[in-house]
Amino acid sequence: MPGIDIEAIKVSIEAQAQAINSSAELESLRVQYLGRKGVLAQLTGAIPGMPVEERAVFGRQVNALKNRITELIEQKQKVLELQAGPQDYTHVDMGMPGLAQEIGRIHPLTQVIDEICGIFTAMGFSVVEGPEIETEFNNFTGLNIPLDHPSRDAFDTFYIKCAGIPVSRLAGSAGSPAHRLTGKLLLRSHTSPVQIRTMKAHKPPLAVVVPGRVYRPDAVDASHSFMFHQIEGFVVDTQIRFSDLKGALTHFAQGVFGKDIRMRFRPHFFPFTEPSVEVDVSCVMCQSVKVSKCQQRRCSVCGGKGWLEILGAGMIHPSVFKHVGYDPKKYSGFAFGMGVERIAMLKYGINDIRLFFENDRRFLEQF
Amino acid sequence: MKLTYNWLKDFVEIKLSPQALADKLTMAGLEVKSLDEQNGDFVYEIEITSNRPDWLSVVGVAREVAAVTGKRFTGMPVSRFSRRTGAPAHRLTIRVENKKDCSLYTAKIIEGVKVGPSPDWLRQRLELIGCRSINNIVDITNYVLFETGEPLHAFDLDKIVSRSAGEPVCRLAITTRRAKENEEIITIDGIKRALNNDILIIAADTGSPAHRITGSPIAIAGVMGGKETEVTASTKNVLLEAAVFNPGLIRRGRQQLGLQTDSAYRFERGIGPEAAIPASWRAVELIRELSGGELKCARSVGAARLTRKAINLSIDRMQTLLGVKIDGTTAKRILEALGCKVAVRGRKSCSVVAAPGRLDIQSEVDLIEEVARVWGYEKIPVTIPTVKIQSMPNPQRCQISAAKTVLAGLGLDEAITYSLVSRELLDAFKISPELLVEVQNPLSSDQAVLRPTLIPSLAKAVAYNLAQKQPGVGFFEIGNAYSVDQDGCVQEQTIFALAVGGQRSWLTAQGAGRETLGLLHAKGIIQTLLTRLGVGQVEWVASENPQEYAIMRGKQRVGVLQNIPAKALAYLDVKHAGIVAAQLYLDALKGLIGLKKTFSDIPRYPAITRDISV
Repeated sequence: MPGIDIEAIKVSIEAQAQAINSSAELESLRVQYLGRKGVLAQLTGAIPGMPVEERAVFGRQVNALKNRITELIEQKQKVLELQAGPQDYTHVDMGMPGLAQEIGRIHPLTQVIDEICGIFTAMGFSVVEGPEIETEFNNFTGLNIPLDHPSRDAFDTFYIKCAGIPVSRLAGSAGSPAHRLTGKLLLRSHTSPVQIRTMKAHKPPLAVVVPGRVYRPDAVDASHSFMFHQIEGFVVDTQIRFSDLKGALTHFAQGVFGKDIRMRFRPHFFPFTEPSVEVDVSCVMCQSVKVSKCQQRRCSVCGGKGWLEILGAGMIHPSVFKHVGYDPKKYSGFAFGMGVERIAMLKYGINDIRLFFENDRRFLEQF
Repeated sequence: MKLTYNWLKDFVEIKLSPQALADKLTMAGLEVKSLDEQNGDFVYEIEITSNRPDWLSVVGVAREVAAVTGKRFTGMPVSRFSRRTGAPAHRLTIRVENKKDCSLYTAKIIEGVKVGPSPDWLRQRLELIGCRSINNIVDITNYVLFETGEPLHAFDLDKIVSRSAGEPVCRLAITTRRAKENEEIITIDGIKRALNNDILIIAADTGSPAHRITGSPIAIAGVMGGKETEVTASTKNVLLEAAVFNPGLIRRGRQQLGLQTDSAYRFERGIGPEAAIPASWRAVELIRELSGGELKCARSVGAARLTRKAINLSIDRMQTLLGVKIDGTTAKRILEALGCKVAVRGRKSCSVVAAPGRLDIQSEVDLIEEVARVWGYEKIPVTIPTVKIQSMPNPQRCQISAAKTVLAGLGLDEAITYSLVSRELLDAFKISPELLVEVQNPLSSDQAVLRPTLIPSLAKAVAYNLAQKQPGVGFFEIGNAYSVDQDGCVQEQTIFALAVGGQRSWLTAQGAGRETLGLLHAKGIIQTLLTRLGVGQVEWVASENPQEYAIMRGKQRVGVLQNIPAKALAYLDVKHAGIVAAQLYLDALKGLIGLKKTFSDIPRYPAITRDISV
């Protein structure tokens, strides 16, 4: 009688296996037959109750059945895996918004500073920083700006109260130890004082770029702020030429504004450089348009001139070298300075400098 | 400064169109800001750098035009009228108290002038350059000022010298001296001004006992004339002054008085004496022509010429500095076109005496610049400099960069806020350190103080964004805080600061989640940052203020975390939200930050988790 059962079970299993379409169903089948309380367990459990002479045969039949069932299940499993029918997946509505961690942003001014410093460090420059509270010597006298001359008017400054407080700077910027200096203190009006600090602390050759905050008592409006950022740079060695200045700045401008930018080197005056130059680039707004058309259209960025001033530069004045103890007969060098906000505004088309310091997320998230 | 195309043509041959001339001038260093056609002439507005006072005149710019275009400079017109003064009707004495204050003083007396309106050509030229026409005498002094760069002043002679009808004046003494303390003058703008010893004045003393103005101020030298001696419609006799005053003294004087005039502007930048005397004769000529009058007296005291030292220009040095081979002949041609005297010394160098009025040329580099800019900067080639690398490691910059990356990755935006804040803002946050670093000359109360902490500024930025209906905001800033230490030294400290406020919401597969940003969020961010920087675990120690926690690494205080108090939130107009802010001090962290990494072996087998009941 058990023999008949086994054949019937075999047939029934084959049919059941055929009908199965999901791994859930397959698992039920497996449990039904091969589980702890399944059919095969029952059959195996019946063996001790059978006549001895039938046990061996029956045992073999049960084993064969077990193998066959296992085989069927494995085969069916393989088939199901290949099929991967739709009801094996939880359906996802791809119209829903994606799930992602919100990440923050670096400020656009920092991005521009990093980009500009990157262009110069690729040329071999080092990045150095300096204190924002400076001495009159470093901000003016050392840079050949006499305190009692109209050229001083262009560099209006904020002075610090309690004149005569010694200034001390913690290590970490330009590596110089604390100075105890008397004399008037002010908020630096340009990053050029770091030229003086660096040249005093190191011997040439030097190639340095200096980013940092500067302060000028200008009334705040769309294009002026009492606090802004500058990047200063200078190179000093025995054979530095004006042509090298043109080369370095051309390379820089092309890096920031693209290879098609045109440049103009216009004579100008700074007390700390001679010859001095102001560097213009072709207007980013009407660049694709010929200059004459730009003038007709009274471009809002360049006012129709077709040129935008981005940099001041020049060959370092011998007086500056004398103040820092370099022999002007032996060494020459060039220096340049630019306003970061101005460059960022030209690069991104921003029309109001105050946006940088308002920190409105709707502004910051555009960069 | 403004001048016109036709006026320039009086002194130099110009074939270029007005626009082409503007471009040429801009590329020579005289930046043309605007060019407008008006009344049949073209008006240039030029930006003049402070080192070139010689460009503050039509003649100066004309000389420049000649040098850059290679055309002939015709110079000042040589007047043909007789300079003989006839029988001396006056004994005019000039006294200069200190020739360092006034290196040259000239005075001329012209009698019998008829003061009236100026002729059209004169009025129009003045109006085109933005100068109001007053009367022919005053207009002539202004005209000559703009034409030659030498400021002149005309006094009504009879108001200096009081005399009875018909009685000729016996003597007149003009003194250039420092004002005495408490002396006063009413200037032509009608304002009474108190003078002091640091102001130079012109004083007059007739010597006559009756009706005399005894040596009292008649003008603030080089700046503004006095009202009493002003030339008016009734003036018949004129005293014309042309002088050279000490630039520093004029500048200090006019700054003290809060004045700026076309005269002072030129004197404080420095005028060469060579311009003064020809300018004076030019004015006399125009006065005679336009208002009648006869020259009766001319006196001069002081140096009419400045002896300049010769400067050596090495051709090699010029070529090396510029990076282009401009030869000695070219250099000589350019410098001579600019009015310098050049003596060639072989092929290697020249000896150059600067042109009169070119006080900006003091050394070899100044000559090199002149040659380069007239020759043309655009012709100098473009070369890449050879940069010799000197290693200047900047570990702080690396630390800051690493911190910024982590903080942005944690979802905070970088903010940049002002270093100068108002006292009010600090008060609202109950911050009143003993000694704040204060600004002596702020433009407004918003810029009165350098911030001793970044928290108020960042909280303000968060508040601003919450007011713009941002549901949740998180900022970080790495910047300086400023303080005065116990030794009286001003300190700049680098601070990592952050501020969060509002609610953050996010989507999961199960739906939306939302939570209010608070102390624990800030704690999580800070701990993650410090772990990433290699600082390790820190402790959060409660302080007497329940809203504030000190961040400690062992015994070292490395920062602070706080809930912004209600009073400050009210000041920032924050409603229905809180703001949490924190600061970390880079100085305290510096020794603890370890960006260097070392490998340690990983176990071969995966970890096993065991639940244990104890």
